Amino acid sequence: MSSYEISKSENYLNYCSDKIRPLPVTGPDAKPLPKMTLDGQVVEFVPGDTIMQVAERAKVASRIPRYCYHPGLSIAGTCRMCTVEVEKAPKLMTACSTPATDGMVVRTRSEKVLKSRSGVVDCLLASHPLDCPVCDKAGECELQDYDYEYGPSRSSFVDEKRVFPKSSTRKLSDKIVLNMNRCVACERCVRFTDEVTKTNDLVMLNRGWKKELTVGDEDKGLYNDYQGCLSDFCPVGALTWSDFRFQKRVWFLRGNASICDRCAKGCNIEVHSEKEIIYRFVPIYNPKVNAHWICDEGRLSYKMVTNSHRVIAPLLEVAGHGPTATSWETLIPVTASLLKNSSRALLVLGTDSTMEECENLRKFFSKFVQNGEIRYFNGTGITTSSENKALDHLLRQNDKTPNTKGVESLGLKPLDVAGVNGFDTVILFRSGRAGIPSVAAAKNLILWGVWSDEEVRAQKNVRALLPGLATQEKSGTFMNCDGILQSFKKAVEHRGYGLDVTRIIEKF
Amino acid sequence: MGTINVSREYSVKEKMFLPAIIQGMIITLKRFIQGFIFHKKYTIMYPEERRNYSQRFRGMHFISVDENKVENCTACFLCETVCPAECIHIVAEERDSASNPYGVRKEKKPLSFDIEVLRCCFCGFCEEACPKDAIKLSRNYELSILSRQEGIYDLNHLKREVKGRG
Amino acid sequence: MDIFTLAQLLAKIVFVFAVCLGVIPFLVWFERRGSAWIQGRVGPNRVGPFGLIQPFADVAKFFFKEFWTPAEANKWYYHLAPIFALVAPMAALTVIPFGSYLMIGDQIVNLQIANVNSGVLFILAFAGLEVYPIIVAGWASNNKYSILGALRGSSQIISYEISMGLALLSMLLVYGTFDLHSMVAWQGQKFFGFVPAWGVFINPIGALIFWISTFAETNRLPFDLPEGDSEIVAGYHLEYGAMKFALFFMAEYVAMIMASALLVTLFFGGYQLLPGVQAAVDAIVSMNGLSDAAAQNLKAVFQFGCLFLKVAFFMVVMIWVRWTFPRFRFDQVINLGWKMLFPLALANVVFMSVVVYLMS
Repeated sequence: MSSYEISKSENYLNYCSDKIRPLPVTGPDAKPLPKMTLDGQVVEFVPGDTIMQVAERAKVASRIPRYCYHPGLSIAGTCRMCTVEVEKAPKLMTACSTPATDGMVVRTRSEKVLKSRSGVVDCLLASHPLDCPVCDKAGECELQDYDYEYGPSRSSFVDEKRVFPKSSTRKLSDKIVLNMNRCVACERCVRFTDEVTKTNDLVMLNRGWKKELTVGDEDKGLYNDYQGCLSDFCPVGALTWSDFRFQKRVWFLRGNASICDRCAKGCNIEVHSEKEIIYRFVPIYNPKVNAHWICDEGRLSYKMVTNSHRVIAPLLEVAGHGPTATSWETLIPVTASLLKNSSRALLVLGTDSTMEECENLRKFFSKFVQNGEIRYFNGTGITTSSENKALDHLLRQNDKTPNTKGVESLGLKPLDVAGVNGFDTVILFRSGRAGIPSVAAAKNLILWGVWSDEEVRAQKNVRALLPGLATQEKSGTFMNCDGILQSFKKAVEHRGYGLDVTRIIEKF
Repeated sequence: MGTINVSREYSVKEKMFLPAIIQGMIITLKRFIQGFIFHKKYTIMYPEERRNYSQRFRGMHFISVDENKVENCTACFLCETVCPAECIHIVAEERDSASNPYGVRKEKKPLSFDIEVLRCCFCGFCEEACPKDAIKLSRNYELSILSRQEGIYDLNHLKREVKGRG
Repeated sequence: MDIFTLAQLLAKIVFVFAVCLGVIPFLVWFERRGSAWIQGRVGPNRVGPFGLIQPFADVAKFFFKEFWTPAEANKWYYHLAPIFALVAPMAALTVIPFGSYLMIGDQIVNLQIANVNSGVLFILAFAGLEVYPIIVAGWASNNKYSILGALRGSSQIISYEISMGLALLSMLLVYGTFDLHSMVAWQGQKFFGFVPAWGVFINPIGALIFWISTFAETNRLPFDLPEGDSEIVAGYHLEYGAMKFALFFMAEYVAMIMASALLVTLFFGGYQLLPGVQAAVDAIVSMNGLSDAAAQNLKAVFQFGCLFLKVAFFMVVMIWVRWTFPRFRFDQVINLGWKMLFPLALANVVFMSVVVYLMS
């Protein structure tokens, strides 16, 4: 089984998500591939590629600018930003929709091309408001970038800018805010709801000057489960993600690759943080797992990590007061004696533990406790990975923990109906995603990992709590619902007293 | 090793030192008389007299307000970004649309806008970066405070209705 | 001891110490204001007229400051040092005659607190004690800068005490007595009928050596190496704050008064009237037809006034010197003390012996 390491990859080096072409045949009977010239560089390509795709894969020196083209969506050719000069063609051709042909000679930065792009940007800015200071897209805005790179230094327009009174700030749903004044009408969002989510809940009304984005059905509103992606690929600040709205300017954020642990799919994400505080998750491209997308539930799941009710200090039970904050130095000996003196101990591993954690805890438990057993527990509505099923045709899964399959592959058994009966000491290890089994029968309960204040208070007989790290704060390996092993690295530093499992075991 | 020896022999007269000492004493005596009798001084009697600073002097910051006493700041974070001393701390929020007569123009506003004056180096980059001419540097240089906490100026302290430079 | 003796003794003690401590605020004021004038500044000018109340405001501040002791200090010696620093020069003041005598009824009151036969030795003994507060303060503070200041102070004071002693010795040869009263009386003579027989005219080199040594003894600039603000922060009194520091501060001025008074007594005629004052006294006496006793009392008052003026002059010069010259380097101080003043003083003793032999 091969392991796939999550890292930031350039997400434009690919085809449309549902139109993955077979790679060219290699071998003795392979036909020679056609060739074309791109900015003086001779490149091979697969028949059927467009100029844009050839250029992306050949990594020509400068990226061809684009608004309507998105590798995960179908080709529209509406924005005219990607025009290139093709020899023998009378006019400029759009790189995104022109198929490459053998012997074609293409120039992507000729004077003619640059003049055309300058004109396109000028026209787009004709009625684009100058509100970059309040726009959340500023800093990662393609309009800003391309205006800086290609745009004219002065606008050719002197007229009043177009204003949409109703859609200047309009909530399309709880999660998405529309500012129609900023829209450049690339229609990526409309194609997304048409092709990817297949909900058709965004449409363009009217034509020309009055073209306006609105929801398909006013009663239903915007209702798909992948709305965050709209703000990701919107090239301007027309569609913004209300959870991130006005929270942070994007240039402060540091992006680190990690994995979303909200469901068994294990979507690849980039954790955007400043000063180790997570502000948002954005998807990164992985054709085997999530392509370009991530669901809203996963996108919002960073809140568990930054939750102010999360317990980030070691707790020890004080008679009459319940669990009370203490230091590791006090906590470890008490926990150790509790484990050593127990007649029969049980370690319950949540299915949100990484493979490494499970292995380390198993070793530690077998060495430290004589009469112990280890079980895993999912607790999100299912027991074993075989019960997991996809909730839609895209990414969302029934299993809300990231590693059920991985824990099973280590040979662990699920927590059976008998539960914790017959065990006097129970360790519950979870990283905040797995459910909590009913452990009221346990005499001594040791909580380990990521817990919130409310979750701790709901338990009886809590003797100690050993705070751990959330998925984004540690490195490890998950096996997703399709059996793909994905290892990830630490994206942010933990901001409390929580420690990695290996560090805690060292203390014992 | 690159040292220059500048020592010299003193003449007998110089070795006496006393003439030089008396010479020095006479100089200070003259100064004393100048100060004592003719009140010659270089001191500026501060609270009563002020030094005249240039028009471009950069002193305490303020945030300009419009005719409705609403700050011009839209919490764009450009000053926080450009600040080399990292002394500006902004938290942004959406302006309550019911009481917002400005519409989109001022939909974002600073929930808190703190300047740690003790860290500030008064470079004026924030003023330069501000797209709304909201943050400006006045000519006020009397910034004495009694505790470190007072060195953090919040929005209410900073808001001021001023035309041009204060 | 009868009541009258006790009363006049107490009165003299109170008078001398009151004058001595009473002029300190004005000295401090003059030091600050004068330095300001010299440097083109203004100086303290807010508290009272011309800022005259400023020293009292300072004292009030010193009283209300936190009484703070360093944790590692030797508490007993730490607290002893500032008291000692003030007491030693004050004790030396007791033998300085500040007038000839008063006639109260038929009793003669000598204007000197303690009429010690060996007054000069008494003064030398107490002047020698001045080094101890510096050493004790520096050592007891348990601070590197303080101990450095103390080391500098001890070596400097001991070095200059030798020159000072030799300069004094040369004058003892002239006066032939240890008693300060007799010395001053000796200086009441006139040379050639009009030049007062002050020590300085007989022994100018001795006077110069003695004068320079007093600067070193009182740690005044340019000999303030034990304090050396720019090098060792504040030297021996670095760890002292509030009133303890103020005691050191006052001690410096008392030492200045003592040194100046001694200089005046030995070389500048002590309480002897300044030229021309005698005529004024005679004129007042003859105009009012005063009795002998009253005339003597009037003369004593004028004598004290003259002593006061002489001492004040030397105090002003000390302040003036302070704001003129920079501090010596330490090797320069020791070189000056041992290679210049010490041989000069020795030679001066020999020279004066010859002079005295020839004169007698």
